[in-house]
Amino acid sequence: MTSIGTGYDLSNSVFSPDGRNFQVEYAMKAVENGGTSIGLKCKDGIVLAVEKIINSKLLVAGSNKRIQTIDRHIGVAYSGLLPDGRHFVNRGRDEAQSFKSLYKSAVSVPHLMDRLGIYVQNYTCYNSVRPFGIVAIVGGVDENGPHLYMIEPSGTCWGYTGAATGKGRQTAKSELEKLNFEELTVREAIKVAAKIIDQAHEDNKDKDYELEVTWCSLEETGGKHVHVPEDLLQEAIKLAKEDDDDDDDEEEDDDEEEDQEMET
Amino acid sequence: MFRNNYDNDSVTYSPTGRLFQVEYALEAIKQGSAAVGIVSSTHVALVALKRNAEELGSYQKKIIKIDDHMGIALAGLAPDARVLSNFLRKQAMTSKMIYNKPISTQSAVLSIADKAQENTQSYGSRPYGVGLLVGGYDESTDSCHLYEFQPSGSVLEYYGAAIGARSQAARTYLERNLDTIRGSEAHLSQEELIVHALNALRDTLAQDVELTYKNTSVSIVGKNTPFALYDDENVQQWIDKLDAVSNSRNRSNGDDDDDDEDDNDDNKDDAVKTETGATADAGESAADSAVGANIQTDAGQEDRMETE
Amino acid sequence: MNHDPFKWGRPNDATYGAYNHHIAQATPYAYEEQHASSTSTTTSSFPKMNTQNPIITGTSVISLKFKDGVILAADNLGSYGSLARFTNIERLIRVGKETIVGISGDISDLQQIERILEELETTQEVYDNFDGGDDLKAPHVHEYLSRVMYNRRSNMNPLWNAIVVGGFDKDGKTPFLKYVDLLGVTYGSSTIATGFGAHLAVPLLRQLIPEDKDYVNITEEQARECILNAMTVLFYRDARSLDKFSLVTVKNDGEFKFEKELRCEGQRWKFAKDIRGYGSAQQ
Repeated sequence: MTSIGTGYDLSNSVFSPDGRNFQVEYAMKAVENGGTSIGLKCKDGIVLAVEKIINSKLLVAGSNKRIQTIDRHIGVAYSGLLPDGRHFVNRGRDEAQSFKSLYKSAVSVPHLMDRLGIYVQNYTCYNSVRPFGIVAIVGGVDENGPHLYMIEPSGTCWGYTGAATGKGRQTAKSELEKLNFEELTVREAIKVAAKIIDQAHEDNKDKDYELEVTWCSLEETGGKHVHVPEDLLQEAIKLAKEDDDDDDDEEEDDDEEEDQEMET
Repeated sequence: MFRNNYDNDSVTYSPTGRLFQVEYALEAIKQGSAAVGIVSSTHVALVALKRNAEELGSYQKKIIKIDDHMGIALAGLAPDARVLSNFLRKQAMTSKMIYNKPISTQSAVLSIADKAQENTQSYGSRPYGVGLLVGGYDESTDSCHLYEFQPSGSVLEYYGAAIGARSQAARTYLERNLDTIRGSEAHLSQEELIVHALNALRDTLAQDVELTYKNTSVSIVGKNTPFALYDDENVQQWIDKLDAVSNSRNRSNGDDDDDDEDDNDDNKDDAVKTETGATADAGESAADSAVGANIQTDAGQEDRMETE
Repeated sequence: MNHDPFKWGRPNDATYGAYNHHIAQATPYAYEEQHASSTSTTTSSFPKMNTQNPIITGTSVISLKFKDGVILAADNLGSYGSLARFTNIERLIRVGKETIVGISGDISDLQQIERILEELETTQEVYDNFDGGDDLKAPHVHEYLSRVMYNRRSNMNPLWNAIVVGGFDKDGKTPFLKYVDLLGVTYGSSTIATGFGAHLAVPLLRQLIPEDKDYVNITEEQARECILNAMTVLFYRDARSLDKFSLVTVKNDGEFKFEKELRCEGQRWKFAKDIRGYGSAQQ
């Protein structure tokens, strides 16, 4: 970040002489310290998981849910400024609802992401607003099968088979790359997700965390996006912790990718 | 001194992705006097320490009823809390009108969270400068909930929470007593709940201050218990239930004098009036800002870094 | 007798002048017919007009409380005036886990209400509802619909329906049955029927449950038999009805039974030959 302090980073919507939009890059920084979120697109649906950092033992365990539902068949996990995430989700709900009132059918995931991409991008265009301080992973199942997308503060929005964001994203990404998504089912993916979040938590080891997992699949949930049942979740957590003891000191990563630039 | 360029408004991120204006708003909460909330399976108690601006002035309202099943306690800018409590009341009435159902604590608190978030993402408005503890009983699930609301728009559910000046001391008390309050065996009565809350509140008091019927507000709401607020003479009954009337620091001095007139000599000359304003905590808040509490990301750089 | 309502009890035309039909029947068409020649006044100077009558209609919804639930029935006909235009209209709508809404009246307005209810369900049960959510109970649905109906009628633009909401009270145990119509009128009872059924079926239902409190003695079988019988009688006498209908039974043990394409069984048409003008025989 050589141009910090030259004045081009003090206002949103301003380009620096070398063509960067600093405020968008700074928004990305807010995300990079947040708890890890991941998403997996399996052959029969999608799984979302977040690492929820517990700052106080006074917090009600199992409450303070982080993964939200945009429409019955679409869920979102996000890292970064959580209130911004709620704003993003509320907009998604409005989009989904207005689509339904116009066309009398549920919005498809790609179309919703298109709309949300436009919305988020808009917050990079004016100096009277700031970009969203979140990266959101949106997953759902529609008539064309499962979809997984990740959207960034710049409004960039790509489809993924495995996506990760937040503090432990490097670890999570390298784990995701090992998977065979052609064969993976959502039921297996819950365990995989629990394991990955546990490994990603290594980067943040001094704090406790709570795992939250949701899924959406025609076979398992009737096409609805819901939290996974408690027994499946506990089983997945148990497996993750067991494995954890075996290969405790394997992963060592210092995330060394400072230049998360807005794609040009 | 180095001037921070990134803290002029809430639409500018710092190079590390922080929003200073929002963080400063969180500091405003600490300028207000403390409020404590505890929830059991059947009730929520909210208690708060009131301040008066001058000897002849009245004590500032700290607890506001929202509906028969819900109330809030505030710390920070009281006028902002009035705006938010008005909004909450409107939401509660709307829920009754449209759905014939008392609003759930969660949807009430999320409604102000979303409202607060808007003020952190657009130029020309400032974030709210008040923190709230929202406690309520939900008819539909037959359960009680306690939420902490922050100007950043973040909302978290707690078993016990404290906000405002020196609230870390209260949180320490709550954490230490969490098992008695919330253990599987524990079924606290309303009275025990309030006593725990008052004990926690008492730990936030400054050296020569005591809980008196003038500076203490107590409220309780829960199953078959419509929101009840105790102030002035009515609050004495609760204070009498504390094992010793003085706070632990004062007790060691053997100073049991709870003359409430002299609690407030340290908060008369504040330039920026927060809820009544107090300079007593000036040292503390300076220390706080030095640490630089971060706006809540989920990584948890919350404003939990008080130096006390 | 003069059958023109405008002639009934009106002061002599000499007193106030002739009745201005434009006020009561303020249609742009009537105005244009009258003033076809003049172009000075536009139709927009006339009051705005909304729905004045239903187009495609569904007839009665009938319903009963019994000791551990409610039972609702409505046939599948959509009439276009006296024409039996559609025979596959579903007029019972499930909302949430345990609530059923029966709608009679205009079918396009029914479809609008269906959308409104789906949106209600989404906002109340899908968004930020993390404990599975059976939050949306019959009293809430009924209150919401009554707000919608009253609001529409107050804007002089009613949804042309009469609606029955069945389910359970907030305790999840006590049967709940309430009515709301295009005027925003609401009432609750152990026996509710809309449309033609309000005249013909209610007495039959009240034979089983004479007073509101009596539903606690009624079993599901009794209630069901009574409803089936009432549907048959309605088919005999209501010329806008069909013998194909849906029937929903909701019980407080969690059972939700949605039966479709039922037929009115045991019809006896022997009396028909004695009725003048019935059938092919010309007299």
